[in-house]
Amino acid sequence: MKLSLDIAESFKIALSAIVANKSRGALTALGIIIGIVAVITTMTAANGLKNTFRQTFSSVGADVIYVSKRPWVQMGPGFRFRNRKDISLAASDALQQRLLGRGVVNPSISSNKNVKYQSKVLEGIRISGTTEKQIIVSDMVPSTGRFLMPFDVEYKKSVAVIGSEIADGLYGNSDPIGKHIKIGRNKFLVIGVMEKQGTSFFGGPNFDRQIYIPITTYGKTLGHNGGRANVNIAIKAPSQESMADFEFEVIGEMRKIRGLKPAEDDDFSINKLDTLLDAYNNMMGAVVLVGLIITSISLFVGGVGVMNIMFVSVTERTKEIGIRKAIGAKRRSILLQFLFESSIICLFGGIIGLSIAALLTEIINEMLMPASLSPSIIITALVISVFVGVVSGFVPAYRGAKLDPIEALRYE
Amino acid sequence: MSVQESDQVTSDTEMSEAILKIKDVTRTYFMGDQEVNALRGVSLNINKGEYVAIMGPSGSGKSTLMNTIGCLDVPTSGSYHLEGVGVNEMSEDQLAEIRNEKIGFVFQTFNLVPRVSVFQNVELPLIYKGVPKRKRREIVEKAIASVGLEDRSDHKSNELSGGQRQRVAIARALVCEPSIILADEPTGNLDSKTGAEIMVLLNRLHEKGHTIILVTHEDEIAEHAHRIVRLRDGLIESDTRS
Ligand SMILES: Nc1ncnc2c1ncn2[C@@H]1O[C@H](COP(=O)(O)OP(=O)(O)OP(=O)(O)O)[C@@H](O)[C@H]1O
Ligand SMILES: [Mg+2]
Repeated sequence: MKLSLDIAESFKIALSAIVANKSRGALTALGIIIGIVAVITTMTAANGLKNTFRQTFSSVGADVIYVSKRPWVQMGPGFRFRNRKDISLAASDALQQRLLGRGVVNPSISSNKNVKYQSKVLEGIRISGTTEKQIIVSDMVPSTGRFLMPFDVEYKKSVAVIGSEIADGLYGNSDPIGKHIKIGRNKFLVIGVMEKQGTSFFGGPNFDRQIYIPITTYGKTLGHNGGRANVNIAIKAPSQESMADFEFEVIGEMRKIRGLKPAEDDDFSINKLDTLLDAYNNMMGAVVLVGLIITSISLFVGGVGVMNIMFVSVTERTKEIGIRKAIGAKRRSILLQFLFESSIICLFGGIIGLSIAALLTEIINEMLMPASLSPSIIITALVISVFVGVVSGFVPAYRGAKLDPIEALRYE
Repeated sequence: MSVQESDQVTSDTEMSEAILKIKDVTRTYFMGDQEVNALRGVSLNINKGEYVAIMGPSGSGKSTLMNTIGCLDVPTSGSYHLEGVGVNEMSEDQLAEIRNEKIGFVFQTFNLVPRVSVFQNVELPLIYKGVPKRKRREIVEKAIASVGLEDRSDHKSNELSGGQRQRVAIARALVCEPSIILADEPTGNLDSKTGAEIMVLLNRLHEKGHTIILVTHEDEIAEHAHRIVRLRDGLIESDTRS
């Protein structure tokens, strides 16, 4: 018999056997349903976490390199970094010069201060001294008013662009623009309010509780140790594709600026979104892996259940197998018949499991974090289901296929 | 003595068209360390179109011989040729193919596939033969009509009487137009009236030119055949033609 015909007919025979014994099929599928729900929900939750993480750090910008004294993700003892020389504003200027206008260089410096308007005080607000290029390296813009301009920086203006939470906290319903704000002991004029960014349960920086002022003004008024403040330099690459080369170039220039000898290690750190994502993947990868292993066990147990039922099914139908063989069924036909039976049951379980997982994902999406069932997850689930069906059906099916026809016919 | 007799038959039929040739076939079952010699050296030629009854006491090896002829079982020793083709060296799947195309089985216990309809039961050998669906319908309907069950086509086998089930089995045995129809006590589970009806069907098949071999304990049934082979203790005791 031609294989294609064999497959089609075995499929139909398997299907009618399942239809003839629906309740058993449903019970068998239950194990697979539970397994698929567990595995798929774990996968969508993991994806949701990743999405949330990305969202949290979207302000970092994929094409931006940060040069700082310390790495964002610190491995090993911290004193190595603490003892490094501060990065000066002059270094930032020098870097800008050396990059010859390729890439946007923005220095910034920050500390926490209490801020005050009339009698209202907000404590521990992050004050960033920066330049007008801040909005080029991060994709945040003011919702009302304006951001810093070159002349604000050049003439060391006492102006501030405040986060939305500060606007709400200090000014309530009235418009903060044109009003004063006291940062530490200095008075600033509010010229803009930043768009609300929101927060995630990852924590991360809360940009809504941040105030931007010109970096020059920062040095003059808040810089406790004058010119020796530690600056972070953000450099936006000309394009995302050239990131790797550009990073290499930045490192080279920084080493020259810092006067390092060839044998010396870098005394500054390069940070970028990838660094964070790598750290995230390292950490979450392990967590997700453990989750998948645990949930896979439930799928495995479901598979063992299918195997068990298939053994029963083959034994129960020993006589039928004998009859089929007597009238010309080859081993392959019997094998396919039972393989299809277990695969169809598992695929059916997979589809139901997937539907339940879709529902759970929707609930997670509503209540916790942005999670969704991607086509690749759906395909994975279906492939896994069929795979479990084939694997757990194989041994029983093989046993049925190699039964001796006479002994099978004698079976009562 | 008995061996000589059967040898004679062999040489008698050498000239004519032997559809199956069995020579010195033995079949030994091993049950633990105990040996059961179900066939102890059987030689038998059967010609195309013959109507043969195999008789003998219980345990004499009738079913074992039928299973060997039907390629369900292979001899422990000796040779078996079906339509000139040696069966001994065949693989299990080749045997399945021969059973499908050349043998039609009718069993004492009917052996229909449960849960499926009469039509589907009769269709099954065609499916395993690889006949495409559009060609199957007509063949199956013809076979069902030939046993007079047109109006039961969609019934499940458990909704039928014993006689009707055996008719379905006969239709199923016919559907691939086999060289030989093997019936192991086809009337054994039926009352004499229904058994007689089944025999009418088998006689009609013989008249149409089918080769029929049947096992029976009853003389009235054996009388339908034109040749009676008697077995005893795994050997042919007598082989007579009427
Ligand atoms: N699968 C088997 N395993 C062991 N012994 C067997 C097997 N099949 C048959 N036998 C033995 O072989 C001998 C012949 O059996 P067989 O079924 O051929 O007899 P039979 O002539 O058909 O008998 P009956 O008229 O009762 O059907 C018996 O002794 C039986 O016990
Ligand atoms: Mg018998």
